[in-house]
Amino acid sequence: MKKLFTTLAAAAVCLFFCAGVVQAKEATPPVKIGCLFDLQGAAGHIGMASKLVAEMLAERLNKAGGINGRPIQLVMGDTESNPGKAVIEAKRLVENEQVDAIIGPTRTDSGMAILQYIEKMGVPTVGCIGGTPVVVPVRKWMFKSPQKSVTAVECIYMYLQKKGIKKIAVINATDKFGQEGEEALKALAQKYGVTIVTQEKFEMSDVDMTVQLTKIKATDAQAVICWTIGPPGSIVAKNVKQLGFKIPLIQCHGLPDPKYLELAGDAAEGNLMPATKLMVASQLPDSDPQKKLLLEYTDLYENVAKIGKVTTHGGYAWDAFMLVVEAMKKAGTDKAKVRDAIESTKGYVGVSGIYTMTPEDHCGLGVDSMVMITVKNGTFKLAE
Amino acid sequence: MFPDQLLQFLLSGLTIGSIYALIALGFTIIYNTTGIINFAQGEFVMLGGMFMVGCTRLLHLPLPVGMLISMVAVMVVGVLIERLAIRPARHKSIVTLIIITIGVSIALKAGTAFFSKDSFTYPQFPGPGHLAIGNASLPGQSLWIIGAAGCIMAALWAFFHYTIRGKAMRACAINREAATIVGIDVERMSLLSFGLSALIGAVAGIMVTPTTQMAWYRGTELGLKGFCAVILGGMGSSPGAVIGGLLLGLLETFGNYLFSGYRDAIAFSIFLLVIFIRPQGILGRK
Repeated sequence: MKKLFTTLAAAAVCLFFCAGVVQAKEATPPVKIGCLFDLQGAAGHIGMASKLVAEMLAERLNKAGGINGRPIQLVMGDTESNPGKAVIEAKRLVENEQVDAIIGPTRTDSGMAILQYIEKMGVPTVGCIGGTPVVVPVRKWMFKSPQKSVTAVECIYMYLQKKGIKKIAVINATDKFGQEGEEALKALAQKYGVTIVTQEKFEMSDVDMTVQLTKIKATDAQAVICWTIGPPGSIVAKNVKQLGFKIPLIQCHGLPDPKYLELAGDAAEGNLMPATKLMVASQLPDSDPQKKLLLEYTDLYENVAKIGKVTTHGGYAWDAFMLVVEAMKKAGTDKAKVRDAIESTKGYVGVSGIYTMTPEDHCGLGVDSMVMITVKNGTFKLAE
Repeated sequence: MFPDQLLQFLLSGLTIGSIYALIALGFTIIYNTTGIINFAQGEFVMLGGMFMVGCTRLLHLPLPVGMLISMVAVMVVGVLIERLAIRPARHKSIVTLIIITIGVSIALKAGTAFFSKDSFTYPQFPGPGHLAIGNASLPGQSLWIIGAAGCIMAALWAFFHYTIRGKAMRACAINREAATIVGIDVERMSLLSFGLSALIGAVAGIMVTPTTQMAWYRGTELGLKGFCAVILGGMGSSPGAVIGGLLLGLLETFGNYLFSGYRDAIAFSIFLLVIFIRPQGILGRK
C-alpha cells in the first residue's frame, strides 16, 4: 500500500513537471519594454499622456500578434520629474524586471542622469527627451525621438529669414531645457543673419515675467523668442499681452499643445511656434507622406483611446515605442542587435517626422519634420 | 528710459508682494495663537485655487458662489487639520507640531495630485483686461489681488481690535498662560486661528490663480516665500507680515531686473541675511 502511494506520488510529480515543461513551451515569453515616464511633477501631464499612448499602442500591437509572435509587456517606472528617481527606476527596470529595451524618460535632466547607467548596462533606450545633450555627443545605447533643439531653432530662424526679421530678444528658463535652447539660439544666430539684442532668464517656478519683458520691450528687437516647457510659457504669453508688445512672440517646440491654449487663453492668439506636423495634420496637403498616419493617430488618440486632445508629447512616445518595435521585428530581442537595428532605421514614417538614424545621428529627424504654426481663434494653424 | 520701467516694476512687485503678505499673515495668526509655524500654509493657497478651478471649470458655478464655496471648503480643511492632526499632539513639543504641519502639507499635495497633476487657470475676474498707468501696464486681476489683500488686512485689524474673539486671540499671542488664567479658551482660539489662516490662504489662492495658474505642487513654493516674508517682517508681528510681504515682492522684482532668472535665490538670500544680521526682522520683538 505504502509502495503504491509512493509510486503514485512520483508519477504525479512527473506528470506535473512534464506539464510544466509543455506549458513553458507553449506560452512564449513576452517582450518586456520598460517605460520611464514622469507620471508626477512638473512634467506630469507629458508623462501621463506618454503612458496612455504606450498602453494604447501595446494593446494594438498585441492584437496584431505582438513582435514576431511574442506579446509585448510594458513595465512602467514613474520618474516623478526627478532625475534621482529616474536612476532608481532605470535600475529597477533593468535589474529586477530584466526589460529588453527602455522608452523614456521625458525630461532632459532625467535623461542625463540615467545615461551613464544605460551605457554601462548596455540597454537600448529611446528617450522622449526634448533636450539635445543626451545624443550629442552620440552615445552607443541612447536614442531619442523628439527633434533636437537645434532643429527647432533652425525652423524658427528659417521662418525669421523669410520674414526679414534680423533682431531678436530671447527669454528662457534656467533649467536644462531652457539653457540648451539659449545655447542653440546663440550658436546658430550668425548662420541665419540674426542678432540677439538681449537675453533674459526666469526660473521654472516664477509667476511673473513682466520685469524681464519690460527690459526686452525697451530694446529694438523685432521678435521675442521664449524657450521653456510647461506653465511658465503661458505666463510669458500673458505678460507679453499685458505689456502691449507690438512684435510677435515665438514659443519653442515644447509648447504646442492644447494645454498651452487653455492656460494662456486669448494671450496665445498670434503666437508662433515650431511644431511637428501632428498639430496641423488635417491642414497638410494630401501628398504629405505622414498625413495618413497622423490622421489615424489623432483618431486613435481622441476617439478610440479617448485620452484627450492630441499633443506633440504623446506622438514622441509613439515614435520611441515604434522605433524599438520595428528594430525588434528585424533583430529579435538581443540587446546589441536591437541597438544596431535602431541605429540603421531608414525612412521610418513616424508621428513626429520621418526617421533616418545614422551612427552619427541618434535622433534622426531633420528640419523638414517641423513646420511653423500659429494660434488663430484658439486653434493651431499653419503659419504663412 | 528707467523711470518708465520703474513704475512697471513697482506695480509688478506690489502685486506679488500682496500675495506674500497674505500668506505671511496666515503664518503669523497661527504662530501668535499657538506658537506653531504652519508649513501647510502654502497648501491653503493651493487648495483655494484648486477648489476654485473645480467650481468654475467643472461645476460652472457663478464667480461669487464659487468663491464662497472654495473659501468655506478650505476653512473646513484648516479646521480639520487642527482637530485631527494638531490637537491630538498638543502636549508634544512645538518642534513635533511643526513637523506635523510638514506632514500635513505633503498629504494635502498628494491628495490634490491624486485628482489631477495638471496646471489650471480660469478667466480673470470682471474688470478691465489691462490697465495702463503711464507707460506701465497692470493686468486687471492685479487690482483684485491688491484690493483683496487690502480688505483682508483692514478686516483683520478690525477683528483683532474691536471684537472680543480678536482681542482674546491677541491675548493668547501676548501670554498664553495669562490668557488661560483670565478664562480665555486657548484651545478654541487655536481652532479659530487655523480656520482664519486657511480662509486667508484660500483668498490668496483664488485671487492669484488667473494670473499665475495653479497646480498641486505650487503651494510649497508660495508658502516658503510667505515664510521668508514673515522672517523679513518679524516673526509674530502682523504689520511686520504685511511690510515683509510687500518688501519681499519689491526686492525680488528689482533684484530680477539686475540678475534675471534668480528670483528664488534673491528671496532666500534675503532670508539668510535677515537671519544672520537681524533675526527679529524689521518689526519683530526679540
